[in-house]
Amino acid sequence: MKWLALGAAALLALLTAVVVGPAGFSGEPATVAIIRDLRIPRALLAFLVGGSLAVTGAALQALVRNPLADPYLLGLSGGAGLGAVGAIALHLDSPWVLPASAFVGALAAILVVYRLGVVTGAVLDPRVLLLAGVVVGAFAAAMMGAIMAVSPAAELRNAFVWLLGGFGSASWRSVSVFASYAAVPVTLMYLAARPLDLLTLGEEPATYLGADVERTKRRVYVAASLLTAAAVAVSGTIGFVGLVVPHAIRLFWGHLHRTLLPAAFLLGGTLLVFADALARTIFAPVELPVGVVTAFVGVPVFVLLLRRWPR
Amino acid sequence: MILEARGLAFRYDLVGNPAVDGVDLTLGAGELLALVGPNGSGKTTLLRVLLGLLEPERGGVWLLDRPLKAWDRRALARAVGVVVQREEAAFPLRAREAVMMGRYAHMGPLGAPSARDEAAVDRALERCDVTALAPRWVGTLSGGEWQRVRIARALAQEPRALVLDEPTANLDVAHEMELFELAAHLARADGLAALVVTHHLNLAARYADRLVVLHRGRVAATGPAADVIRREILEPVFGWPIEISRWHETPQFVPLKRSESTR
Amino acid sequence: MRLGFVGTALAIGVVACTGREAPPAGRLVDDLGRAVALPGPARRIVSLSPSTTDRQFAIGAGGRVVGRTRWCDFPPQAAAVPSVGDGLNPNLELVLSRKPDLVVFYASAANQGVIARLDGLGLGAASVRLDRLDDVPRVARLLGRLTGATARAESLAARFGAELDSARAARAAGANDPTRRVAVVSWDNPPIIIGAGSFLTELIELAGARNVFDDVAQPSAQTGIEAIAAREPDALLVLGEGVPAFARRPEWQAVGAVRRRSFVAVQGSEFERPGFRSLDAVRTLRAALRRSKGR
Repeated sequence: MKWLALGAAALLALLTAVVVGPAGFSGEPATVAIIRDLRIPRALLAFLVGGSLAVTGAALQALVRNPLADPYLLGLSGGAGLGAVGAIALHLDSPWVLPASAFVGALAAILVVYRLGVVTGAVLDPRVLLLAGVVVGAFAAAMMGAIMAVSPAAELRNAFVWLLGGFGSASWRSVSVFASYAAVPVTLMYLAARPLDLLTLGEEPATYLGADVERTKRRVYVAASLLTAAAVAVSGTIGFVGLVVPHAIRLFWGHLHRTLLPAAFLLGGTLLVFADALARTIFAPVELPVGVVTAFVGVPVFVLLLRRWPR
Repeated sequence: MILEARGLAFRYDLVGNPAVDGVDLTLGAGELLALVGPNGSGKTTLLRVLLGLLEPERGGVWLLDRPLKAWDRRALARAVGVVVQREEAAFPLRAREAVMMGRYAHMGPLGAPSARDEAAVDRALERCDVTALAPRWVGTLSGGEWQRVRIARALAQEPRALVLDEPTANLDVAHEMELFELAAHLARADGLAALVVTHHLNLAARYADRLVVLHRGRVAATGPAADVIRREILEPVFGWPIEISRWHETPQFVPLKRSESTR
Repeated sequence: MRLGFVGTALAIGVVACTGREAPPAGRLVDDLGRAVALPGPARRIVSLSPSTTDRQFAIGAGGRVVGRTRWCDFPPQAAAVPSVGDGLNPNLELVLSRKPDLVVFYASAANQGVIARLDGLGLGAASVRLDRLDDVPRVARLLGRLTGATARAESLAARFGAELDSARAARAAGANDPTRRVAVVSWDNPPIIIGAGSFLTELIELAGARNVFDDVAQPSAQTGIEAIAAREPDALLVLGEGVPAFARRPEWQAVGAVRRRSFVAVQGSEFERPGFRSLDAVRTLRAALRRSKGR
C-alpha cells in the first residue's frame, strides 16, 4: 500500500545516494572512509532537510490557508542571504561563519516579519504575515545588492553560489546538530496536526470546533520559521520542495495533517536525496547547485499537479 | 437551563455606540429559540459574545450553570455545536472527514478516531440525512447539502446546545423548510437547546418556542410568537409599516406595500 | 575572486589576429574582431581591465593611463591613476569624464552596449582577452601598437614568448619526472576548484605539477569534497596565507591533503591574472611545491 511504496522509495533514494559518487563503491579503505564520512552524512542531511522543508510547507499552507504557500514566503531566505553576505563582506574568518551568520540573519528576518504580522491585540494575521514576508525578503535582497555593489570583497560572489543551495558541507556533526534541532519543531508541528485541519476551515469555525487558534498559529509559525532558518543555514535556499511535495501528498493521502505531515516528510526527504545525487553526478566532477535541480524537476511536476487538483 | 446571559453589553470601540446593550437571554433544553432583528441590530455580535469569542464589557454568560470564562475551548466545543453563516474550506475535504472534525474536541492530538468517534459520526450523518453524501468532496456539494453536512458536524460534537447563524441565507424554499424542520426536530426529539439566528421572521414564528427580537443592541421583545409578532413591537424595530395575519394560530407579519399603507 | 572575474566573462569573439601587420596609425583589429578606430597613437587611455592596466605600465605606456578600474592593483603606480569604478558594464559618465581617446575593455558581452556608445562618440574602443599565457605577448603587442610604444612592447613580448617557450620545453623534457598532483581550491562552501580553462593550470604545469581537475574545461567550477578526495591530490593550492580556515571543518578531513595539512599557499596579483610576471609566478610556485614536499 501507499506507505510501503513511500518507505521503499525513501530507502531506494538513500541507497542510491550512498552507492554513487566519484570514489565509486568498493571495500577499499579509502573508499569506505569516503562513504562513511562524506556520502552517508550527505545523504542523511539531504533527507532531513528535504523532509523538514516539506513538512514546513504543508503546515504553512494550512496556516495561511493558501495552497501556494512555501517556506520561503516567510522572508527568511532573504535574511539568511543578507547574514551570509554581510559576514563575508566584513571578512569574518571562521569555518562556521556562513551557517552561523545565515541563521542569525534568518532569525532577524523572522522577528521582523512576526512583529509586522501581529495586528491589534496580539492576533497573528496570516495574510499580513505573507505580505510582511515578501516585503522583508525584498528588502533583504536589495541590501544584498547594495553590499555587493559597494564592498571590495571579491568573495561575495561565492556567497551567492552558496545561497543557491547544496549539501557539500555535510558531516556527521552537521547531521547530528540538525537532527536534534529539527526534532523539536517537527514534533511541534505534528502535534498541531488536528488544529491545523480545523484551521483550514477558517478561524471562526476552528474555534468553535475546539481549536486554540491563536496558540496554534503562533506555535506553527515559530516552529516553521526556526526549522526553515536551520535548513537554510545548513544548505542554502532550496526551492520547490516545500511547495510541491505537500501537493503531491495531498493527491494520494488527502488533506488531513495526521497523515499528510509524516508522508510529506518521507517524500520530501526522498526527493531531495535523489536531487542531490543527480546534482553531483550529471556533470561530474562538476556539481550543480541542488536548488537548480529541484527547480528543473519541480516546475513540470507542479504543472502536472495543478491539472489534477480535485475540486 | 443550558445557556443564560444577563445584562450583556459590548462595544467594538471605546467611543462608538454599543453593539450589544444590556441583553438578557435564556435557553433551555429541548427549546428552539429564534434570534431575530434587522441588519446591524447586533445579532452576530451577540452570538459571538454568547460563544466566548468576544469579551463583554458588562454582564456575564453561563453555560450549564458555569460561567463561560471557566470553560476551555475544547470543553466548550463538546458542549456547544455552532454552524456559522459562511464557511469555505481552504483545501478539498470529503464530507465524512469534515464531519469527523466535529469529534476533534473529544480526541487526543494524535491517534486514529475511535469506534465511538466513528459511531458518533454515523449517527450525526443520519440525523441530518446526509449519509449518502459522506464520500463526496464538499466542494461538489450544493449550498443546502454543505449546510446539512455542517450541521451533522455540529451534532457529531455531541453537544447540549446547537447554534445556527443565519442558516437559511441563500437557501431555496425546500431547503429552508428542511432546515427548520431539522432544527425543531433536534430540539424536540433529542433535547438539544437550539438557538437559530434568522431573518426569516415568519418561519421563526411557526417553528420556534420563543423569539428574541433585537433592535440596536437591545432586546425589543422576548417570548412566544403570540407575544412578539405584534405591530406595535415590530414596526419600530423594522421601520416599515406591517400588518399581522394568522396562519393556524401563529401570527405572521406582512409588510405593507406603499399603496396598501395609510401611514 | 579575481579569477572568477576573469574566468567567467563570456568571450563571444574568436581570438583575433596575432602579429597582423597594421599601419602605425592604429587601424587595428581587437580580440573580438572589431576594428579599433584611432587616428594616431592613443594619448589618454582608460583601462577597464586589471590585466591591461598591468600590461600598459609594463610596456612603458603607464603615463598615458588616465583611468583604471577599482580592481587594478598592480603596479603600485596604478594607484595614482583615478578609478572609474567597475570594468564590466562600466559607468560611461565616469569613463568619459577622464576624456580618453581610447578605452580598453575586457572582451565580454557585458560591455557591448558601452562599446557601441563609444563608437557613436567617435572614440576608440578596444576589447582585449587576456586569459591564458599565450595571450600575454599578443596583448602586449596590440597595446604597443595602440599606444605607439611598439618598440618596448615588442621586445618585452618577444622575451616573454621566448621564456615561455623554453619553460614549456623544459617541462616536456622532464615529463617523466614524478609530478606533484594538486587541486586548487578557491572557495570551500560550496567547494570551487580551478579547472583547465584557467591560466593557473598552465602555471601549475610549468611548475612541474599537475592539476588533478585538468579534465574540467571551465576556468572554475563547483564540485564536491568527495570529488576532491577521490582524486587524491598530494597538496591543495590555495591563494592566501597559511592554512585556510576550512581545514578545520570535519567534512574536509576526508581529503588526504587536508588531513596531512598539505597546503601550498601563494599570494600576489601575479597569481590572479596572466602577465609578464607569470614566469616569476611559476618559479615561486615551483619553490613552494618543493618546500611542501617534505610534508
